[in-house]
Amino acid sequence: MSEQRLASPAIAEMSGPCALPRQSGELVFNDDWERRAFAIAVSLADQGHFAWREFQQQLIESIAQAERRDPQNPSRDYYESWLVSLEALLRRKRLAED
Amino acid sequence: MSQHDDSHHGAPARQFSRSDRSDEHNRDLAERVAKIESLLIAKGLVDKQALDRLVELYEHDLGPMNGARVVAHAWVDAAFKRRLLENATAAIAELGFGGLQGEHMVVVENTPQVHNVVVCTLCSCYPWPVLGLPPTWYKDAAYRSRVVTDPRSILAEFGTALADAVEVRVWDSSAEIRYLVLPERPAGTEHLSEDQLAQLVDRDCMIGLKKVRRS
Repeated sequence: MSEQRLASPAIAEMSGPCALPRQSGELVFNDDWERRAFAIAVSLADQGHFAWREFQQQLIESIAQAERRDPQNPSRDYYESWLVSLEALLRRKRLAED
Repeated sequence: MSQHDDSHHGAPARQFSRSDRSDEHNRDLAERVAKIESLLIAKGLVDKQALDRLVELYEHDLGPMNGARVVAHAWVDAAFKRRLLENATAAIAELGFGGLQGEHMVVVENTPQVHNVVVCTLCSCYPWPVLGLPPTWYKDAAYRSRVVTDPRSILAEFGTALADAVEVRVWDSSAEIRYLVLPERPAGTEHLSEDQLAQLVDRDCMIGLKKVRRS
């Protein structure tokens, strides 16, 4: 199942605040850890460990939380919110217990 | 989630593109990700190669390069170009691309007399297996309606000035048909290889917003 040939529209076409950062249509990652965090979430969803919309919902909440004080100046950037969401979902699904 | 910004140049206002994080903070974040990754690898839930492939897939494989290779191939192979204009879906599949939303493709050719532009006024349909991820502005309602009512002004914003004699055709994508523009091959590129030609072609050219330039 992790052998996927095409990107999922549910992920690639997210809209609104949780839309993937892009430039000219292509994804923008500032650091390698952002790529890793992106791929970990996509891979776990691909394998059915959670539904993509669960992750998306968590991401929307994390971004809203970061923008609560000042929407123009969020306390976390996009992929930091992504990471916070991933950590929260892993805890909830008990996927990352030692 | 109805919010759209008015940016038409691929730089949506609310998405950061440069990180303002300090090195220290960035290291901390990288460590958190590394910790998750090694834990999940140890549990057999993810594997490093699969993660690399996923990144590849989302970053490159579906990027505009697929469409660019179609265009470059059509420029160098007249028989392929004929097949492409007759039945784009089959011709594109010859090159190994297709699937999902790229399935029902129609290719329209730019010539010195005709300039084609693609839009989707209804639902921002977009052949992303071939063109990569759609730009944010493509879904913008104002952009979509203006392409139909006044395509030349949009083209001018993208730096594409057309002589009055050139006919502008606007193609409205739908769930059934996705359009791809075959741009004109720029003069002075006769010596370039197919790979080099493909590198000249970007997404905006294949939506018909820009002409291909010799870099």
